[in-house]
Amino acid sequence: MSKLSTAACLLIAGTTIAAHAQSVKVGSVGAFTGPIAALIADVGSGRELAVNQINDQGGLFVGEHYELVVGDSACDAKAAVDAGQKVINVNQVVAVIGASCSGGTLGMVQSVTIPSGVVALSDSASASNLSSLDDNDTFFRTAVSDAYQGVALAELALSKGFKQIALTYASDDYNSALAESFISAYYAKGGVITANSMHEPDKASYRSEVASLSGGGAQALVLFAYYGNSGVTIIKNALETGSFDTFVAAEGMVHEEMVSQIGAENLQKAVFTTPGADTAATAYKNYLMATEEAGINATGPYVANGYDAAFVMGLAIEKAGSADRGKIAAALREVAGPPGTKILPGEWSKAKGLIAAGSDIDYVGASGEINFDANGDVTGSYMITTVNPDGSFNKVLMQ
Amino acid sequence: MDSLYGFALYGITLLTMGGIFALLSLGLNIQWGYTGLFNAGIAGFVAIGAYVSAILTTAPSPLHLGGFDQPLLVGGIAAMVLSGLVAWVVARICLRLRADYLAIATIGIGEILRLIFKNESWATNGARGIVKVPKAFESLPAPMDQLAFLALVLAVVSIVYLLLERAHISPWGRLIAAIRDDEQAAAAAGKDVVQLRIQSFILGAVLMGLAGAFLAQYLKFIGPNATDPLTTTFLVWVMLIAGGSGSNRGAILGAFLIWAIWSMTEILAGILPGDLALRVSHVRIFIVGLALQIILQRFPQGIVPENRPNITGGSS
Repeated sequence: MSKLSTAACLLIAGTTIAAHAQSVKVGSVGAFTGPIAALIADVGSGRELAVNQINDQGGLFVGEHYELVVGDSACDAKAAVDAGQKVINVNQVVAVIGASCSGGTLGMVQSVTIPSGVVALSDSASASNLSSLDDNDTFFRTAVSDAYQGVALAELALSKGFKQIALTYASDDYNSALAESFISAYYAKGGVITANSMHEPDKASYRSEVASLSGGGAQALVLFAYYGNSGVTIIKNALETGSFDTFVAAEGMVHEEMVSQIGAENLQKAVFTTPGADTAATAYKNYLMATEEAGINATGPYVANGYDAAFVMGLAIEKAGSADRGKIAAALREVAGPPGTKILPGEWSKAKGLIAAGSDIDYVGASGEINFDANGDVTGSYMITTVNPDGSFNKVLMQ
Repeated sequence: MDSLYGFALYGITLLTMGGIFALLSLGLNIQWGYTGLFNAGIAGFVAIGAYVSAILTTAPSPLHLGGFDQPLLVGGIAAMVLSGLVAWVVARICLRLRADYLAIATIGIGEILRLIFKNESWATNGARGIVKVPKAFESLPAPMDQLAFLALVLAVVSIVYLLLERAHISPWGRLIAAIRDDEQAAAAAGKDVVQLRIQSFILGAVLMGLAGAFLAQYLKFIGPNATDPLTTTFLVWVMLIAGGSGSNRGAILGAFLIWAIWSMTEILAGILPGDLALRVSHVRIFIVGLALQIILQRFPQGIVPENRPNITGGSS
């Protein structure tokens, strides 16, 4: 026991020495082990890339080092709470980037960062129930809440002229959350839903469901489902029975397998949304160039969000003027949203100059406009996805 | 001073989580250490306790069953009762199986329970889990809230420890030790072996349910990943084996020690640069395994070996 505690003391002493007096520490909590470790490794690299760029261009304040302190949330609330406590209390970080996985993040945010008043900025937790916490404005994210895709689809459906639709969704958490946000947005914008039903995934046939949805003058069938579980079968049944030929659906349907099973010629009237950055924008090109130089997988899920989280956190700390935990939330809102001069990924020295001069800045990230709403969420951007006659997908940024 | 205060706060969380694991480890000690029942479904009983107490104590929510806004005490008691009831059903079905078959059966039951909680989303909000779980003493100002919660957990661990020590030397404790060591001899002596094994299994599960209730409170959240078998079932086994199977003191020591190793090895990440820091998380799993090897090499019976109850003094 005594040997162990000596080792522990040395370990802790080592940490204190290694922390330079002139470094500003931010927690980098993510699921570096566990079920999505392979994905999160890239997200961690995205965060590191932003930090390296900032340090190469003068660092924070007057030559201070921006340092990430890694904590493993393992996609598990127990580990996330432990990692959050550690970076906040032992490493004394200014703010926390993370965690990954909604479950881990819900634990860490509710039991660590909110009670201690430290800002947490997640780049990879998308659950909509993270928006409704009583967080005293301490929880933000660059990952888009699942709730927004429903709203984006409602806008898309109306812009296509579908004023009356029928709707069905699979009984899992993701699709029912999407359906819920779609329905309220669609009603609010004056749409009419002629039929609305939930279906059980993985059935062999959905003919009776489709039959009860048709009629009532619906112009399109809005479908929230994973293509492999029920989506493909429902579209096939609808086409076979002639009930619907026009479909609106979300990213869970967008897959080559879906096109090959249904046939591209049958999907010419279908539209889908997929979350994604505007790959034509300068912001994204800046990011892509930097990731290529650093040898990072730029297009992996949430990698651009991780980059944006670390970069905008750097801007907020610079704006706050000191490593003061209490000032970060307000500063995050100031540097991320309009008004102000647009700052793109990698433009640290430009931003630093503007902040020093007292000018407003507005960060436009690799993953989209980073403008936090009242819940600390970003709306993100979506691509309108259609199927080309040759079976490939055509993606256009949704305005 | 700031950093000292920070270390103190971290110490509190370390001990709180250690205390919750100590309850689990004590529960497993009754089943395995005392009675020789191989329970590989700990996570399932933790999940029952956590979900039952979370559903009972949260404010009403459209996302899951309830909540019923009940006091925390009600949640804790219900967690123990339900966990015990499920354990009774499981025990009726499985406890006639011998050691290795029981292990396989309990792994299956643990997974079945976990999948039920994951998929019955009308009751549990599915993969999203239950949020805003109330926590004892959370309205106190910081850091008193954390201290009070720690005190509560440690008090419960102490009470359970004292009760189990008493049970260990009681006729009941000596009888289950006899069943573990020679079941046929105990049966030949006219003891109802199956009934006693069931009692022991239920008692252990009740403690696991209570630990689950504390876990949900501590995390203020419960979801399917929080009762993942790796960090619930198997880590608890490591704790009990390292600490000393059959010994309550060993079970408690093992829980705190292994959790401290698990948690503190990550502080290494602060020292290492860049890419290496990202790998520390993997290294700690290795370190826990290594620690178990070293402990078992030096202490084959665990750090605190079992102290067999004195059977010569009794008349039974």
